[in-house]
Amino acid sequence: MNSLSQKARIKIRFFQNPSPLIDILKYLAVILAVIWLISAGTEKLGYNWQWYRVPRYIFTFEDGHLAAGPLIQGLMVTFQISGISLLLSFAIGLTAALFRLSDSRAARFLARCYLEMIRNTPLMVQLFFIYFVLGPVLGIERFFSAVLALSLFEGAYASEIFRAGIVSIHKGQWEAAYSLGLSRFNTYRCILLPQAIRRILPPLTSQGISLIKDSALVSIIAVYDLTMQGQVIIAETFLTFELWFTIAAIYLAVNVTLSVLVNLMEDHLGVQASP
Amino acid sequence: MQDKQFGAKSSFGFITVDRISKTFPNGVVALSEFTTHILRGEVVVVIGPSGSGKSTFLRCLNGLEDIDSGSIVVDGIVLDDNKKNRLEIRKEVGMVFQQFNLFPHMTVRDNINLAQRLVRKKTRAEATEMTMDLLRKVNITEKADAFPAQLSGGQQQRVAIARALAMMPKVMLFDEATSALDPEMIGEVLEVMKTLAGEGMTMVVVTHEMGFAREVSDRVIFMEAGKIVESGTAEHFFNHPREERTRAFLSQILT
Repeated sequence: MNSLSQKARIKIRFFQNPSPLIDILKYLAVILAVIWLISAGTEKLGYNWQWYRVPRYIFTFEDGHLAAGPLIQGLMVTFQISGISLLLSFAIGLTAALFRLSDSRAARFLARCYLEMIRNTPLMVQLFFIYFVLGPVLGIERFFSAVLALSLFEGAYASEIFRAGIVSIHKGQWEAAYSLGLSRFNTYRCILLPQAIRRILPPLTSQGISLIKDSALVSIIAVYDLTMQGQVIIAETFLTFELWFTIAAIYLAVNVTLSVLVNLMEDHLGVQASP
Repeated sequence: MQDKQFGAKSSFGFITVDRISKTFPNGVVALSEFTTHILRGEVVVVIGPSGSGKSTFLRCLNGLEDIDSGSIVVDGIVLDDNKKNRLEIRKEVGMVFQQFNLFPHMTVRDNINLAQRLVRKKTRAEATEMTMDLLRKVNITEKADAFPAQLSGGQQQRVAIARALAMMPKVMLFDEATSALDPEMIGEVLEVMKTLAGEGMTMVVVTHEMGFAREVSDRVIFMEAGKIVESGTAEHFFNHPREERTRAFLSQILT
């Protein structure tokens, strides 16, 4: 560094630590470029923006009361599917993880089969399979076919997260519980899982967010979730650009909220502080 | 050694270890035809160079490691694949680890209460009463509501001893209980172990603390390569060792 001139050194410091103002300007420049690109592109297409027509699909006024529009109704279905699937997928994931870690060869084999079968086939095929093949055979209706497919799919990934979390707990914890005479069930319940859950909360959150996004796929079996409602409205109104922007924004808002909530929960649980 | 709270020493074997062998999957022989009898109330110190199988021997005594052949009988219960027997032995044999292994997400009180409540089926009040007694015994009552990470190494190890004692074990195993401690904290842990020995607790201690072996043990076992090289009273062992290998080991560690 000694050979560098004073000027060069200032330059280096500038590029290492530019002021926040520079950051903001760069950010704005990128946003402006994107907006320009889209508007220029749509102009060339001759696209006629009609944002004013969008709000009625989010909220409608009926008899002076604010009522949910089709998009919000769809969002509620997305919430229902995602919420139930989230709980189910964590239950399935935990069970599969415990099977993988069990002493029983059969249980380990079963869990492995489940994992490989789900992880190596497309979710869309699984949805079709459950809805068109298992559905009529077992008498599962549309909504629960969607829930089942999503839960099984995300559960496979959740099981790997659970397994990694449990395995990451120091062996000494298991040994201490063993020598105190704790049963396997109590060792998991009181010692391993409470410690593992703190570690796996961040990847589990990602999995939850994936689940909400993947739930958009249930529209292919005509479950009227957010995405399906959007497709219906677009078919009627040709507001393609406006509605896809709106739908993306709604998913974004939901998932960002979820991330922030889990971050708060992590702070509360002391995830960073755990050894 | 007047106050024999845990029963007088008797002549019959309390723990019978008969020709146990263990080879690890990587081919290392940890124990080979190892045989010993431990009496009720006896304090046995196991020493030896690292890799001699002393920790493995200790861990076999409560089933943490499985043996390949031979038999282990603790207080009349055979340690085999029978889950019920194994559980009985796990309840009767307390263990203290080098790395303490306290449960980091629980307070000191909950660490000690846990097994009493889940395994001994005590109520919270009963468990807490015993826990506070034990914390008094290991001289650390003021930390009952602290988490393990807030304690020094010596304090954590004393809590770990209290946690093992809460199960009212008939035998206590100490696996290099002071090896991970700063020098100034070793004394406080050894003090608790001495008190226990004085009360007549049956103890098997793997340690590098020769002072403890000399002062407290009834018998010293020196082992190497999974076998007993020499075994005898501390007086015999430290002052008149028979074997050449023992003399060489002692001259290395005592200088």
